[in-house]
Order: sequence, then C-alpha cells, then structure tokens
Amino acid sequence: MNPLLAAASTALLHNALIVGAMLFALGLVGILTRRNLIVMFLCAELMLQGISVSLVAWSRHHGDFGGQVLVIFVLTVAACEAAVALVFVLQAFARTGRLDAAAWQGLREATLARTVDHALPASDASPPQWPRLSTAGVLPPGADHDSLEREHV
Amino acid sequence: MILAGAVTAAAASLWLLLPRGSENRIARRAGLVLGAAALAGFIVTGRRLGGLGEEAVFLVVSLVAVISGAATIVTRSPVYSAIWFALSLAGVAGVLLVLGAQFLGVATIVVYAGAILVMFLFVLMLAQPSGLAPYDRVSNEPLLSAVAGAVLLGLLSLSIGRLAADPTCCAAPARQPAAVTADAAATSDTLAVDQVARLGGELFGRHLLAVEVAGVLLLVALIGAIAVVARGEAALEDDRRLAAGGARR
Repeated sequence: MNPLLAAASTALLHNALIVGAMLFALGLVGILTRRNLIVMFLCAELMLQGISVSLVAWSRHHGDFGGQVLVIFVLTVAACEAAVALVFVLQAFARTGRLDAAAWQGLREATLARTVDHALPASDASPPQWPRLSTAGVLPPGADHDSLEREHV
Repeated sequence: MILAGAVTAAAASLWLLLPRGSENRIARRAGLVLGAAALAGFIVTGRRLGGLGEEAVFLVVSLVAVISGAATIVTRSPVYSAIWFALSLAGVAGVLLVLGAQFLGVATIVVYAGAILVMFLFVLMLAQPSGLAPYDRVSNEPLLSAVAGAVLLGLLSLSIGRLAADPTCCAAPARQPAAVTADAAATSDTLAVDQVARLGGELFGRHLLAVEVAGVLLLVALIGAIAVVARGEAALEDDRRLAAGGARR
C-alpha cells in the first residue's frame, strides 16, 4: 500500500476511534449518574453508538465488511432491547408512578446504604417565556384554554 | 501532556454540568468553558487527515456527535435529552458516512432516529409527570462517575494513540498481499462503488445464519414485549386486590 495513503488511513482510524471512545465514555457517565430510567436507556444507546463508530472505523481500515455487518446486528439488538426495555419501564411506571431508578432501591443488596433524597430548593430558573400569539379565527367549541397549555415539556 | 489535560477538563466539565438540585450559573459557565477546552485539546491531539475538506467535514460531524452526546446526559428534562440524542445520532451518521459506510449511515438515521427514538418519545409522553421531577434534577455521585468516565477515556485514548503511532501494528496481514497486487484505487473493497451491494452479499452470504437468528430475536422480543404487557396488567390487578384485602383485614 502507498505509505502516504496508509498514514492517512491510520489517522482516520485514530480520530474515529477517539470519537467512539468519547461517545462510549459519555454514555457510561450518563448511565452511572442519571436516575431517570428512560435517560439511562438513552445513555446505553449512546454507548452502542460509540461501539458502532469504532467497528466501522476498523472495517474501513482493514477493507473488510465484517465490522459493518456487526454494526447491522448491533442495530437489530438495539431495536429489540429498546422494545423490551420500554415495556419494563412502562410497567415500572405503572407500579410506582415514577420513572426513578431509586424507586426500586428495595432490590439493592442488604449491605448497601439507602439513597436519601435531600430536600431540593424550588427551581430558581424563571419559567420559560412562551410567545403569546394573537388570537386568529374562532375558538373551537368546547376547547378549554387551560387544557391546551402545559408549563413544561 | 495535552491529552491528560483534555481528559481532566472533560471530567471537570461533566462534573460541573451534571444536574445537582440547585442551578448555579457560574458553575454552568465554568463547565461550558472547561468542556470547550477539553474539545480543543482533543482536536489538537487528533491526527491530521489527508485533505482539508475531509478534515473539516470529519471535525464538524464528530463535534456535533460529541457535543450533543454530552448535552444528552447533562440536560435536566428527559424530552430535551431525547432530542439532543437525535442530534447526536445525526452526527454519528455523518461520521459513518465519512468512514465510507453509506448504508449504515442512512440506517442509523432511519432505524434509530426514525423508529427507536420516536418510541422513546412516545413512552416519555405517556409516563411524564408535568414539570421537572426531583429525580431529574439530582444525579447519583456525579464526581465519582465523571472520574470513572475520565479514567476510561484516558486509558482508551492513550492506547489508541500508541496503536496509531506504530505503523506496523494495525496493518491487516491477511489483506496485505491482495492490497499490494490490486489496483491502488481499489485497495479497500469497502470503498467500492457497489459497496452496498457487496455489504448485502456479505451479510446474506457468510452471515446468513446470523441473519436468521436476528430475525428470530426480533420475533421473540415482539412476543415478549406483548406478553409482559398482558401479564403485567394481570399482576397489577392482583397487587391491588391484595392491597385492598390487607387494608380490609
């Protein structure tokens, strides 16, 4: 192989592997810290993205389709995992009314300390200022203004 | 060393930016500045690619992927988290396209952003109490996790740098004779014009059994999800009946 081409290929491999490692580390930090079950699954998917980038980088480097085929199976397994995991999350929400991982801390080891929530200060961020649009047309009958507006998403 | 500084700055930035109950504007600004410093450090230690255009495109898409990945984990609202994750997916798809994996780049957008992420958003809308829940505004052990992530990232980037510095280590010995004999433009068949067709040939040729197993896996996940919903509702009813019975007694 042309040495210049080889150097460029190695540089691309290096950079792509670094990007994959960063995505994986971000997903790891997220899954360790966040307590919302759905955000934890998003972080798991972020780790899978990091793996995919690394696999495709090696596939490109070696000129072999093995890595890309593996990424296709990663996609498949991620789809299955998301379906089953979201069903479990919905069931957990139906039981506890919260999407909180700490709501299930009764399942922890007997030797571990209990997670204690400190009293949180009221959110000091000013509520978002949504634009007020002037009324256009007629209000549909029976539409209640309050039921159409939510303060937060 | 620049790399160690960048990794430390990244960890400190994550630690400052992660949700921690009260909002502190100074900590947020410091976290953003440190994050920008960490990204600059990583950009400086990155290898130069061949062409300026390729380098710029790779830089932009990987910055989009990493920055929105970081925003995914530091945003308080889970809906915004999911939307940042969609942007991160777009960046990852761009990285895959730069790496020459056209089919996977498009499949990432279609399957992840189009299907899986919409499913996440549906569940969020089904299960989201109004307003920010307390558990979204605090995080478990942000310092320890940021340090753990930094250690992982430092070790990985160190070993990747060492790997890429050694020119002989990552050449494929089995492919080398073919690459030498073949035309210089066709050294790597993953970049051929008909690469999607070749990927399909590889998938349904060498990996046919795995494709069948993946199909069975999808079917099992589908049936399993339906079964969990059906039986879970019955179990919930039982729980309520038990609780009501216990209260009466």
